[in-house]
Amino acid sequence: MILEWIGDAILLLVVLPVVVYLLRGVLNAANSIVPSVQQIAVAAQQGSRDLDAAALLLTTQDQVVKTIETAADYGGSLDVILDDAR
Amino acid sequence: MPAAGVVMIVAVVLIVGALVFYLVSTILALRKITRGLDEAIGGVIGIIEKSAPVNEVVTTINQNLDAGVDLLEGLLVKKAGLADAVGLVEGLYPGAAAEGFRNFPDSKTVKAPRIGEVYTRGTLTLARLGREAPIAAASPNGPALRNPAYGSLAARGLYPEGRQAKPQAMPRSPVIGADSPVQYVPSDSPGVRERMPVPAGSGQAPAQSEHNPQGGPVKSFLRRLKNDD
Repeated sequence: MILEWIGDAILLLVVLPVVVYLLRGVLNAANSIVPSVQQIAVAAQQGSRDLDAAALLLTTQDQVVKTIETAADYGGSLDVILDDAR
Repeated sequence: MPAAGVVMIVAVVLIVGALVFYLVSTILALRKITRGLDEAIGGVIGIIEKSAPVNEVVTTINQNLDAGVDLLEGLLVKKAGLADAVGLVEGLYPGAAAEGFRNFPDSKTVKAPRIGEVYTRGTLTLARLGREAPIAAASPNGPALRNPAYGSLAARGLYPEGRQAKPQAMPRSPVIGADSPVQYVPSDSPGVRERMPVPAGSGQAPAQSEHNPQGGPVKSFLRRLKNDD
């Protein structure tokens, strides 16, 4: 009979607090991750939106090619109409 | 049932209840994390897809710009000479002469001439207009001639007063043609009119030019030669 009471005491005073403590720690850790993950998700989506303008690089590429071609034509004309340095 | 057994059952129920509560809460939190990670992964995949061609495009742009730099550097050095080219670049971008030209290693050791001593004021003016900023900080030490906001008005300052500042005060271009209000008679020689133009319908007789009463200067010269004979 005494052993049963001792077992009850151990369950209530030792096992239950330890179980609650450990589970609470796991829950707190899981809850602390949630806002971080949500922030990461928001940042990733914003970063993805920021890169929407990356498609304009193709336009920039074409413009650079045209600009260089124009500069080359202009340089060719200058090469013809201007004398070389002595 | 003995009291100790009841207490044990209550303790076990409490422990199981605590396990259920905290584990269910943990499962819910992990589900939130899973949803957040799914969103993050979607965003990261978008970033990867959108940035995939950037490397190639930027590389191509850099190659084209490199070709442009090579072209312009070569042209500048060819036309102006290495020393003057370095001086011109130094005048436009003070301190740039120390870096020199990319394709001309000798340009780093060239002593850049003072641009104001090499080129005329007109050249400097043109260079300033292109630069949109004060050039040749040491010589000449003046403000930029071109105001980016009113660039066209600033350019007018380069031309004589009257033509650009007050174009409405300038006489209009003459009207030409058979029915023009003022009839011009072709001159026998450049710069000398047989008679001055008369407005059509004015009734005035055309006046003879004082310089050439009966012909051009060649005819007048020949006539004088005959008289001398």
